[in-house]
Amino acid sequence: MSTDGNNTTEGGSPTAAPASPKPYWIGIGLMVLGAVWLYNAFGLPQGARYAAVGPGLFVTVAGAGLLVLGAVLVLQIWRGESFVAQDAEDADGATKMDKRAFVTALLAVALPIATMGPLGMPFTATLSFVLVANAFGSRRWWLDIIYGGILACASWFLFAQLGLQLGRFFPPLGV
Amino acid sequence: METFELLLHGFSVALQPTNLMWALVGSVLGTAIGILPGIGPALTIALLLPVTTALAPTSAFIMFAGILYGAMYGGSTTSILLNTPGEAGSMMTALEGNKMARAGRGAAALATAAIGSFVAGTIATLALTFAAPAVAELAFYFKPTDYFAITALAFCSVAVVMGTSRTRGFVSLFLGIAIGVIGIDTMTGQPRLTFGNMQLLRGIALTVVLVSLFAVGEILYVASRYRSTPGVMAPIKGQLWMTKQDWARSWKPWLRGTAIGFPMGALPGSGSEIPTMLSYTLERKLTKHPEEFGKGAIEGVAGPEAANNAAAAGILVPLLTLGLPTSATAAVLLAAFQNYGLQPGPFLFTSNPALIWGLIASLYVGNVMLLVLNLPLVGIWVQLLRIPRPQLYAGILVFAMIGVWGLAGSWMDLTIMLVVGLGGYVMRVYDFPIAPVLIGLILGPMAETQLRTALAAGQGNPLVLVSTPLSAVLITLAVLLLALPILLKRLRANA
Repeated sequence: MSTDGNNTTEGGSPTAAPASPKPYWIGIGLMVLGAVWLYNAFGLPQGARYAAVGPGLFVTVAGAGLLVLGAVLVLQIWRGESFVAQDAEDADGATKMDKRAFVTALLAVALPIATMGPLGMPFTATLSFVLVANAFGSRRWWLDIIYGGILACASWFLFAQLGLQLGRFFPPLGV
Repeated sequence: METFELLLHGFSVALQPTNLMWALVGSVLGTAIGILPGIGPALTIALLLPVTTALAPTSAFIMFAGILYGAMYGGSTTSILLNTPGEAGSMMTALEGNKMARAGRGAAALATAAIGSFVAGTIATLALTFAAPAVAELAFYFKPTDYFAITALAFCSVAVVMGTSRTRGFVSLFLGIAIGVIGIDTMTGQPRLTFGNMQLLRGIALTVVLVSLFAVGEILYVASRYRSTPGVMAPIKGQLWMTKQDWARSWKPWLRGTAIGFPMGALPGSGSEIPTMLSYTLERKLTKHPEEFGKGAIEGVAGPEAANNAAAAGILVPLLTLGLPTSATAAVLLAAFQNYGLQPGPFLFTSNPALIWGLIASLYVGNVMLLVLNLPLVGIWVQLLRIPRPQLYAGILVFAMIGVWGLAGSWMDLTIMLVVGLGGYVMRVYDFPIAPVLIGLILGPMAETQLRTALAAGQGNPLVLVSTPLSAVLITLAVLLLALPILLKRLRANA
């Protein structure tokens, strides 16, 4: 496995933002993740009886890889590696983060964990739909409820027809 | 001539009315998602994976192939008319195509893109028809050592080529490998990294990771940096179509683009970005009208568009013959095969010829359908762009949620969706490539099985990994690849 240690020439694009972010936490986070994998690998047999390598080997490789890469990343960040946000079709990497929109969209993604089981898919999907639409600047929430509701119900019926297990339509009422 | 007979048989499968219908569904869907932002072929196929429970494998793969090809056609439309390349492969098209559209030659740009895509798609499918059985024949003799060397090479090239730096590529790859070891070890039955959680025993499905990274990550990212002023669409009504001179200037770039795209698509990691870039650079060097480049040169649309479509056919060669995915879309297709309990590779050609040849034949059919769908109907397709963005992204999340919840009805999957989705957001903000995660996730367990089988056969001696000529060459190549970024940087600087 490569450790890919000395990338002295990387980064430093000519038009780096004046205050380039220093996301040390990503490197540290990767190292922590690698440590968790390594720690777990030590609990697994490294060499099983017939296979020369046991179930632990690949876990060790993954853990060690993340640990080393995390360290390399920290080093690169310290040396001034630049991080430029990607451009997407409807997003501009150079604009400042809109925290309110981000949190609203995040809420829409987190919501299903709590409501998908007890309240059912159509209800959850409608609510998430309204939240995402709101995050993108739609302010006519009553219209979004209608759009989202139609989409959620239609896809519930359609996918149920295809044999997908999406649970009950609205569990509180037992339907 | 055996190939020819098998292909004819394939056509008899592909031309059955139901399969024709699925090819049409795939083509329409593919074109639509190629035009729409925020949703690409990999994500679409991942969301459609649940239909594999209800559909015969041949029909499902014919539809998926339509999506794969269709997305390439649709992507060029938005690049040309709106200057918003939906995926990396359309970036070069936008460069010249949008300039042409602004100069009132949008119709000609769209035509050379669509016809070029058709020409390239057809020639590349022809190449696939004859290359695939030959490679499959060779692959019969591959040992686990060779397979491990192939995956190792794939890992290195994916990590090196995709993304801005080797470190970031490898970070993505190792994240995928790390996720891939979660669950029960297939060879010994040992639970790994399940943290005592029963729901993690079966591992983390590719669909969940892919949907989270591509759909959830994208939604969070775009929401946080939303650019609400949409681009101005260049009008195409009543414009001059391709002139005689346009044809004369287009046909050579089409063929050159195909010649670049097909083999590059078959190589791991190059995806569609590098072949289109190469084709663009080449056309700019060869053109008799260098002054037009940067202002709307038709060669700059014809070449990359052909390369783009040929690459889409190219990824099917390693996928079908070796079971080796070289892009995110190929990784999902492999997952679809696994859903059916099928393992693509040389044995699939002998055990399930109707599926393989039906699929290949459907590519020819799909290309014709796509040409018809895209050339005269482009005006209808662009209407899709009228869907307001808030509701579009909201809808994508609804489908993402259904895809994840429909897998097993598990709240654990929904939690993973949130965590990995946040990861996808971070990766976009700090510019880490996404596809290597998926390649690591799906190839990691395969590499592990081959590695352990090879080592067991060699009684634990690591030298067994380079014991065959092929494995020695491939491992050497993998090491050499680590020096590639320097070359690539030069290429980027020239483009």
